[in-house]
Amino acid sequence: MAIKDTLLYVAKAVTFGLIMAAVFLFVTPLLTNNSSDLFFQKRGDNGFELSFSKAVRRAAPAVVNIYSLSVNRNQPLNSGSLQGLGSGVIMSKEGYILTNYHVIKQADEIVVALQDGRKFTSEVVGSDPVTDLAVLKVEVKVEGNTLPIVPVNLGAPAQVGDVVLAIGNPYNLGQTITQGIISATGRNGLSSGYLDFLQTDAAINAGNSGGALIDTSGQLIGINTAAFQVGGEGGGHGINFAIPIKLAHSIMGKLIKDGRVIRGALGITGEPVGPVIAQILNLPDLAGVVITAVDPNGPAAKAQLQPRDVITKFEGELVPGVEMLMDRIAESTPNQQVTMTIIRKGKVYDVPVTIGENVAEDAE
Amino acid sequence: MKTKLSLLSAALLTVSLTLTPAISQAAIPISVNGDAIPSLAPMLERTTPAVVAVAVEGTHVSKQKIPDAFRYFFGPNAPQEQVQERPFRGLGSGVIIDAKKGYIVTNNHVIEGADEILIGLHDGREVEATLIGADAESDIALLQIKAKNLVAVKRADSDELRVGDFAVAIGNPFGLGQTVTSGIVSAMGRSGLGIEMLENFIQTDAAINSGNSGGALVNLNGDLIGINTAIVAPGGGNVGIGFAIPANMVNNLVDQIIEHGEVRRGVLGVSGRDLTNELAQAFGLDTQHGGFVDQVMEDSAADKAGIKAGDIIVSVNDRKIKSFQELRAKVATMGAGAKVKFGLIRDGDSKTVSATLGEASQTTETSAGAVHPMLAGATLENGDDGVEITDLAQNSPAAASGLQKGDIIVGVNRNSIDDLSALKAKLKEQQGTVALKVQRGNNSLFLVLR
Repeated sequence: MAIKDTLLYVAKAVTFGLIMAAVFLFVTPLLTNNSSDLFFQKRGDNGFELSFSKAVRRAAPAVVNIYSLSVNRNQPLNSGSLQGLGSGVIMSKEGYILTNYHVIKQADEIVVALQDGRKFTSEVVGSDPVTDLAVLKVEVKVEGNTLPIVPVNLGAPAQVGDVVLAIGNPYNLGQTITQGIISATGRNGLSSGYLDFLQTDAAINAGNSGGALIDTSGQLIGINTAAFQVGGEGGGHGINFAIPIKLAHSIMGKLIKDGRVIRGALGITGEPVGPVIAQILNLPDLAGVVITAVDPNGPAAKAQLQPRDVITKFEGELVPGVEMLMDRIAESTPNQQVTMTIIRKGKVYDVPVTIGENVAEDAE
Repeated sequence: MKTKLSLLSAALLTVSLTLTPAISQAAIPISVNGDAIPSLAPMLERTTPAVVAVAVEGTHVSKQKIPDAFRYFFGPNAPQEQVQERPFRGLGSGVIIDAKKGYIVTNNHVIEGADEILIGLHDGREVEATLIGADAESDIALLQIKAKNLVAVKRADSDELRVGDFAVAIGNPFGLGQTVTSGIVSAMGRSGLGIEMLENFIQTDAAINSGNSGGALVNLNGDLIGINTAIVAPGGGNVGIGFAIPANMVNNLVDQIIEHGEVRRGVLGVSGRDLTNELAQAFGLDTQHGGFVDQVMEDSAADKAGIKAGDIIVSVNDRKIKSFQELRAKVATMGAGAKVKFGLIRDGDSKTVSATLGEASQTTETSAGAVHPMLAGATLENGDDGVEITDLAQNSPAAASGLQKGDIIVGVNRNSIDDLSALKAKLKEQQGTVALKVQRGNNSLFLVLR
């Protein structure tokens, strides 16, 4: 009896175990396959191999080298040579190319070189020194001679820890792909022009500026712009910055439409409401922006706003801090009338303000 | 109680059964279930013992002729040359490629001029190595050690590499001890950098620093894809731009060194340049990459194979080439006598020809290009007081540098040279711009090579 019991017990356990194992083995490959398809390609019968070559093939042809055809006035005989400036990304079949403003700032004539060897002279459609972006355009004259374009990821914003690839032309060596992760992300503000960078440890060097930062599926997530430098010599610290594609894309739209970025302006200087200011001005909470100075000729002055006024709402929306207010103002069109709610000497007022225009100046 | 026990044992069985296949796959770092962390550790356990530290000791000897004006001060018996000896020590890396015979590959610049070469094995042993042969122009050297229980690295087909593939560098940076860094293949077929005479590099962003030279670049299977050789370092350190000599080029060179004790450079017998967009347009070509043939030497391998001036060479043994420099590096490292298939475009049509590479002698045009890229197109011969240019191809880099037929090269920068080997040696020492002292008739002049 005892033997039969034991046997039965063992048999039960074994059967159950086998069934569970079978189910688990059946389910596991489905799970792993789904998750790995994005990044890994099947190669022969050796199973999966880790490589970003698929993403590279998708995006790299659309990343161009940008040269300046400089006319050297001192040596006119020696001029006409191409000087490497940086990189750019072909965004559309019409030939619009995103790059950094600082890449093309001092160029007399800009030549764009594709990876397949084609070269085009290009025009500057518009540039925006505030965000350090510029849009170029090349004309494809031959019918059927199409340009490679890069797929763009405007949906999911990049997150810290995502694997990314930087594509560009460092030191004019030729196209180079480097890999790293997103180290930090900035605010998701729009076009007020304040630090909104993606930070990455993918190697970015002189000449990478204006090039592409892509995700592992080959979609564009940013425009590489700057490397953190110590003592002015080279990068190599693993701290590099890219402009997120959402911002770059919206700026590109504006540059194509107007040739420049038109930003709303209020003509004030402000700071966030801190505990001290809240106590001095007797405010109910720490939200809002306190005006510290007013441009005498600006829209705020015309609307009778004064220093020590605290802006609490913009068009009925609560103002939590300076960044949000700056974004809203920048996004407003000049001559648009908006309502701001302010607290002055403990009393709440709704003030109508006509937004002015912020004329972008070259940062240098 | 029994139910609990049986459930427990069932669970144990489930786990043990499902773990078995997982373990057998552990060698390849794939994320399991989507969230396990991939690690290179299993691959590195197998691979790192094949990478060694190379320590060298030697003396750099530099000779300088004492100018006549100063010889006066030393008296009539003063030596013609002033010999300076400077002892040096160096550190680098190496890769064991044959465990039985103890063959180790490293960079030529790691061991050049060394009197003593000491190998530090992964397990702590230190063994003296002998130099089997070296090739300065491609920067590869082969060493041999006598030791048991060595581990060799498997060599991968580096032509199969794609930009975006993972790459892992193993070496001995700054003499810190064995260090592993990871990155990807940033570019292939990189040439025209002026680091070596023959360049066809794999570019990687895996951190490579001083002391990594001669070390291994491996793929995720731990197979050798390249020998780490150089970096672009504007600030002195790594900026994510490193260069490795591809494994296939290393194989060709090592085979020749094992067979002959030296590299017998293959010669095709063409001079040319990169195919540019302008050339492609002028010839109405779809292709934008390749080597444009300016001139074919008479009776050369190219001549016999039917390659003509104006042809565009687009592939070597069915592998596409990007530039003339890449073609040059590939051909020169293949070894004399090698049979090579070349893909050509002639008058818009694709063709394939087979050539048997000739052997380079000291006086041919190709070796002139190998002495310095800007001397390509010149035929150099030892003259009475220097190196004479006995022939010069029109529109060649040498002609563009201002050289003329009949010129005699007598000096490099401030050092005088009297034969080809001295010219080679001096040009190798100089980096960047070089001034050649040239005797032309009764005049002597300086020409600058960039």
